[in-house]
Amino acid sequence: MSNLNLALSLTLNHPSVQSVIEIAKEVISNNNVLNTELLYNLAKRRLKFPRKGLLSIIQLLINKKVLVEGSKYTKDEVLNNKYRFNLYRFLTSHLGAHFSTIRKQIITDSSGTLGSSGQLIWHLEMLIRFNYIKKIKIKNYTVFLPYEIDDEIGVLHFVLRHEIYLKIIQLLINNEELKRSEVHKFVDEKRETIYYRINNLIEFNIIELSGDNNSLILNSNKKNDIISIINANLQNKSQIKKFNFNSKEVKN
Amino acid sequence: MTLNLTPEVITDFTLTIIGIVFTIITYIKPKTKKLTSLNYIRLAIFTFSVFIFFDGLSILYVSKFLGVITGFILIPLTLSLVIGVRYSTSESFYSYGFIVVVGLSVLFLYLGFQPNAVIIQIQEGNIWLLWSGLFSSIGMILTTITAVYMFYWGIKTLKNAPFLIKKEAYLFFLGIFFGSVVALVFYVLYLIEPFYILGSNISLLIGLIIITISVMIEPKLLYILPFTVYRIVVKDREGYPLFDHDWSKSEISENLFTGFINAIQLMSEEIMNIGGLLDIQLKDGILILHESENITVGLITSKSSKLLSSSVTNFTRDFENKFEKILKEGNKDMVEYESAHELIEKHFSNFPSRIITNKRKPLLLTEKLLKLPLALDNALKTIFKDEKEYNFIKSEIYRTPESTAAGFISLYKELKKEFEEKDKFEQS
Repeated sequence: MSNLNLALSLTLNHPSVQSVIEIAKEVISNNNVLNTELLYNLAKRRLKFPRKGLLSIIQLLINKKVLVEGSKYTKDEVLNNKYRFNLYRFLTSHLGAHFSTIRKQIITDSSGTLGSSGQLIWHLEMLIRFNYIKKIKIKNYTVFLPYEIDDEIGVLHFVLRHEIYLKIIQLLINNEELKRSEVHKFVDEKRETIYYRINNLIEFNIIELSGDNNSLILNSNKKNDIISIINANLQNKSQIKKFNFNSKEVKN
Repeated sequence: MTLNLTPEVITDFTLTIIGIVFTIITYIKPKTKKLTSLNYIRLAIFTFSVFIFFDGLSILYVSKFLGVITGFILIPLTLSLVIGVRYSTSESFYSYGFIVVVGLSVLFLYLGFQPNAVIIQIQEGNIWLLWSGLFSSIGMILTTITAVYMFYWGIKTLKNAPFLIKKEAYLFFLGIFFGSVVALVFYVLYLIEPFYILGSNISLLIGLIIITISVMIEPKLLYILPFTVYRIVVKDREGYPLFDHDWSKSEISENLFTGFINAIQLMSEEIMNIGGLLDIQLKDGILILHESENITVGLITSKSSKLLSSSVTNFTRDFENKFEKILKEGNKDMVEYESAHELIEKHFSNFPSRIITNKRKPLLLTEKLLKLPLALDNALKTIFKDEKEYNFIKSEIYRTPESTAAGFISLYKELKKEFEEKDKFEQS
């Protein structure tokens, strides 16, 4: 090694280079922060290479992009990924969106460069891990919400994105009280479907039974929230445009 | 005839020998020898050896004539150092220092021919040969200019030295410090008490020895120029990359760089002929392009320079010669061109690498070299069929908290059920 003319003969396959790579792997596997100083000191101690030779190897590894500058993610850095940033933007502007909606939005993205469902789930997990979002289970749906949004508000958003739910709730806003058996006539849907939805809304504590248990009323505690969400959704609908996951706008 | 062999004479002759050795080292060690700034600095070191030799000789023979000649040698010494340092920082001869030295030199020459420019003084049994009057004052100013330029050279070298040769740069600076600042302090004291010239000579001796050793260890110290070389890329005539090498990180984006080379290749016949050289001024640097029969070479640097242009031309020529056969065959495999590193060493050895910016900056291994636990790796391979995607996720896993991968696998299983049911429902 001492006579090794590193600049001329070094390639990535050179045994000396491989030994240094092994040490780098070991440091990373042990969950330590790898840097030039640590790698140099460890390799120097174990491999006894001359200083210049060892530095040339580290330099080669950086030059060949075997070693790249970077560290463990911090919360701020997580959104530096364009896909992740746009996904987070989507979730904050489409409150109550469930996984299938998000997936559909991504899969139908015109660019076709957004990868598999696996990649989408990875980014969702990253956003969850760094407390940007949380997931809640609503019936058979997994809904992703910005971390700071209250779960109950999340449920309202989810419900109000659904056409049949929305129609039932709008009826109750306009009529104060309605017979359960009459709702399907106004909504123009099968009775069973409407009954199923009504039961869900009761379960979500959005509507309540009154009187003889055959009449329905809107939960008065949630009425204001419901109205403001509906208004906001209406406003958004008028401005809505297709969400572009490949948008170049990234958090700075 | 009795010789006046004093300690000053002995140190003068020792300095002469070290100076000559240093001159030879600056010629032998560096691979690129024809560098104008280094030629001037080498000339300054050589002239210094001659200066100090004549100084010793004049004291040895107690010769006023040789004393005046010694003074005159200070002129080329100061001029070559001023030009050398200036040229190494801006590739130009002219500076305020240059004008001042030329002006003072004319006066110095005139004063040297006046009677009593050099006097003999006997103090405590020792014979001292001293410059006197205005001749001494001008000589002192020229010496100070030399020391200041030397110190500036040392500072500039230390400041610009990249991480890889920083240690040697500190050693080099220590030598410069002894040879300029410490020696100058003793030289000022010499005006009060001639004995202190010994201190000045010894400081110069120590400084020169340290500088010589540091340059022997790392000749690149002599080439730390003020511009930064970022990157060189070789492409074939169809635009395929054949070789690239980074010296340091550039602000110029990959797309912009590649785009420029491609555009130039498309328009090459209109813009430049084969064998032509083109400098393109970019916002964050200069792109020097050179076209030859089979390749286009692009070099990104912080400033344009004659030295760099000729280095690019010579590199291109040697690349063509070295890989002539495979270039003609149209071989596009970058591995085949890896040995072009030899040419980087040959033509760009004087530009130190700045690729390691900070020894404590965190590093990560490329995803291809990372190894995950077998079970996790298998699970990921089942989820990510696309290799690029799989490598991306792998690289992400190494940057995330420990349980993220496990969390992902469980979320994937949970959502997979959901989207499979949904897909089934939609299909039915």
